[in-house]
Amino acid sequence: MLEMRGICKRYGSVRANHNIDLTVPQGQILGLLGENGSGKTTLMKVLFGMVRAEAGTVSFKGKQLIGHSPRDAIAAGIGMIHQQFMLVDAMTVAENVMLGWARAGSWLRTREMAELIRSASATYRLELEPNAVVDELPFGHRQRVEIVKAILRGADLLILDEPTSNLSPPEVAGLLGVMRRLREEGRSVIFISHKLGEVLDICDEVVVLRDGEVAGSCSVDGATRAQLARMMIGRDIRHAPRLAKLAPGPDLMSVEGVSIRDRSGFERLRDVTFTLREGEILAVAGVNGNGQEELVEVLAGLKIPMHGRITLGGRDITADGVTARLLAGLAYIPVDRVNTSLVPGMSIEDNLGLRDFERSPLCRGPWLDRAAFRKQAMLRIAEFGIHCGGPDVPAQTLSGGNQQKIVVAREISRRPRVLIAFQPTLGLDPGATQFVIDQILALRDAGGAVLYISSELEEVLILGDCIGVIYDGRLSGVVKRDEADMTKIGLLMAGIQEATA
Amino acid sequence: MKTFARKPRPVEAIATLDKNAKVDNYRASPGLHAGAWRAVLPPLLAVVLAFAVTSLPITISGKNPLLAYWALLKGALGSVDAIAFALNKSTPYVLAGVGVAICFRSRVINIGSEGQIAIGGVAASWMALSFSYLPSLILIVAALFASAVAGAAWAGIAAIIRLKRGVHEVLGTLMLNFIGTLFVSEVLHGPMGEVGAGFPQSPLFAQAAWLPSLFPGTNLHAGIAVAFIAVVLCHVLLWHTPFGFRLRLLGSSHTAAAYAGVSFARAVLEVMLMAGALAGIAGGIEVLGVHYRLIQGFSQGFGFNAVAIALLAGLNPIAVLPAGLFFGFLEAGALAMQREIGVPSSLVFVIQGLTMVFVLCAMGIGLKQQRV
Repeated sequence: MLEMRGICKRYGSVRANHNIDLTVPQGQILGLLGENGSGKTTLMKVLFGMVRAEAGTVSFKGKQLIGHSPRDAIAAGIGMIHQQFMLVDAMTVAENVMLGWARAGSWLRTREMAELIRSASATYRLELEPNAVVDELPFGHRQRVEIVKAILRGADLLILDEPTSNLSPPEVAGLLGVMRRLREEGRSVIFISHKLGEVLDICDEVVVLRDGEVAGSCSVDGATRAQLARMMIGRDIRHAPRLAKLAPGPDLMSVEGVSIRDRSGFERLRDVTFTLREGEILAVAGVNGNGQEELVEVLAGLKIPMHGRITLGGRDITADGVTARLLAGLAYIPVDRVNTSLVPGMSIEDNLGLRDFERSPLCRGPWLDRAAFRKQAMLRIAEFGIHCGGPDVPAQTLSGGNQQKIVVAREISRRPRVLIAFQPTLGLDPGATQFVIDQILALRDAGGAVLYISSELEEVLILGDCIGVIYDGRLSGVVKRDEADMTKIGLLMAGIQEATA
Repeated sequence: MKTFARKPRPVEAIATLDKNAKVDNYRASPGLHAGAWRAVLPPLLAVVLAFAVTSLPITISGKNPLLAYWALLKGALGSVDAIAFALNKSTPYVLAGVGVAICFRSRVINIGSEGQIAIGGVAASWMALSFSYLPSLILIVAALFASAVAGAAWAGIAAIIRLKRGVHEVLGTLMLNFIGTLFVSEVLHGPMGEVGAGFPQSPLFAQAAWLPSLFPGTNLHAGIAVAFIAVVLCHVLLWHTPFGFRLRLLGSSHTAAAYAGVSFARAVLEVMLMAGALAGIAGGIEVLGVHYRLIQGFSQGFGFNAVAIALLAGLNPIAVLPAGLFFGFLEAGALAMQREIGVPSSLVFVIQGLTMVFVLCAMGIGLKQQRV
């Protein structure tokens, strides 16, 4: 039904897709596997007409799609469910389905539409109430609204981009049921996932992408999880690990049995326990969305855990807020530069003082000491080589690498006892990446304890003196770097404990 | 990915690196001058455009717009009394406007100045009427203090409803406007009303409670000085205190504020209380300096003009002063224009409205340019 041939796409110097072939026969479910950044999403964007490929052809139902837009793709019978839903929260399910659909007509026939949705809902066991307001629906149901939207628009090929990453197990089962039903009807599905179990459970064929190329493809019959995991991550490490030369010091920070639920009651962290030692980096690997965000926010004092205890230097800081933890020697580099670790509209000197403006030396009595701000900024700009037009230009005028230098300068210069770094190299060019990593290594060598969380396995393997894997809110398999086994880490990242592999 | 060629720099070495790095290397950014112009130009242009467009209906009604505007100008600036009148009119605008500007900057949408002014007026009146035996200075300070507290409390109600129950402050402050205005009527029909007066008003205050004249022989009361101090104070607070830093953070990004250790609830409460106090003082000044009594409807329209002025000023406290004066002088000249040329004074509201429309358009364009 679908044939993609020789798809190539570059972003700057990054090769997102290189010479990729992909075929989907009618009535089949194709699993698309790969690490973050392996090119899955780019490939699907090319297919859906959101991104134009530099080379390659797409033909669907025997017809060539050339320079098509998402609108053309929908008209041709391709539906895509994005990770971020394209729904209007304040509208009802029926209204959302009608939105932007030419066939709904220029006169709203809400009742007719509701009937359509009800019958589709019954066919696929979606249990959707057409008059419910989307805002009040749980996450899983919103996804179903997207599915109904695509099906009613006549999608013969449905692309699901990591649809299960935020679902609870019963919701996942429901979704898989819907996919089976679609297959029975002769429709095709492209299922993007990190979760090997689900892929093996439902797909007919699997294609694995790695570094923008097809690393392998196979039929699921006879394929094992271990095989797929190896295809996904099985590569040589190109760089030697950079371990600490000195033996780690005493325990500095310990986290015991920390759990947290999100607003809908879903457990995001489950009984996380680990220890950070002086002069040692604990690097945690894991696919995004497995509790990393919750973990760093709990550690930084932005979220209060349900259970568990966090101590720093022997002192219980579980109930402390952000500022108290900061003063206890805890630095934190968040993943989001645009709105969390930096304020784009503020000047560089204000951004450098973002976390300390209420204390000496930046604050004297009731006043901010602007001269101290300026002096600190000049110092950091010189030390960390921040390229900028001066300390009073807004941070948003800087490149991503220089913005991250501001953050790193601020957090490292405080000489923290513990640093929590959450994907600090995300979106940086190689030079800036190296700079950030060098700084973190320097901090470790000076006796700091570091928790480094990344979804890039290679980074974890290079940096970690100890390595752990986070999956589904659980931290597991923390071992010393030299005892780490690549295959095992890969399996853990895919959610497979040794026993079941 | 990376090739780790560079040697890591030990933290100690970094920390001891030249302590007095070349501080004079950067001059004040050369773009400052251009930046100031870019901030001032749109509102000025908006004012000119508003006058130009308003001349159309004046021409259609058979009057000469230039003569009308000349009369307006003379009415506003033509004599010492005229200027005093206009400054008095501007005072509540500036006071309430600067509070709203600070709120909006922190992305706290307080549109409740009107209610806060009303309650501030009630509190000042109550002080003036109940403690008329106090020495003048003490009485006035006490009355203005009471109006500040009352205004802050009124705004604080909206802030607490926001923080505790999640009701957006737009709704809270808007609703409290109606209650505040009606509360004035309520007290005037009851405990504070003047017996036998045909209009809902309080008895005249004792002279000790009247705001002193700033220049003997004119009606210019001390309020404009208070407003001026408030503007300077807000500017200093915003840019030179941790409080202002918190507000700027809050206005930029809630996640960044949390990351910096700023308590959202505390910051919202602080800024609302401050804006409420400023509006309350505006109300107190209005009754102590202009009417010398509490009268029904004295706060009408101030609150919404305060929002307009804050926006016209680009949410910059210092700029609230010219913006507030512009509104005050325009209204002061309106009556003269009507008297002399026969152009209805309500046309001034058209000018105010058009100015706002043009300013908002300019802001919209500015935002678009920023994003690119």
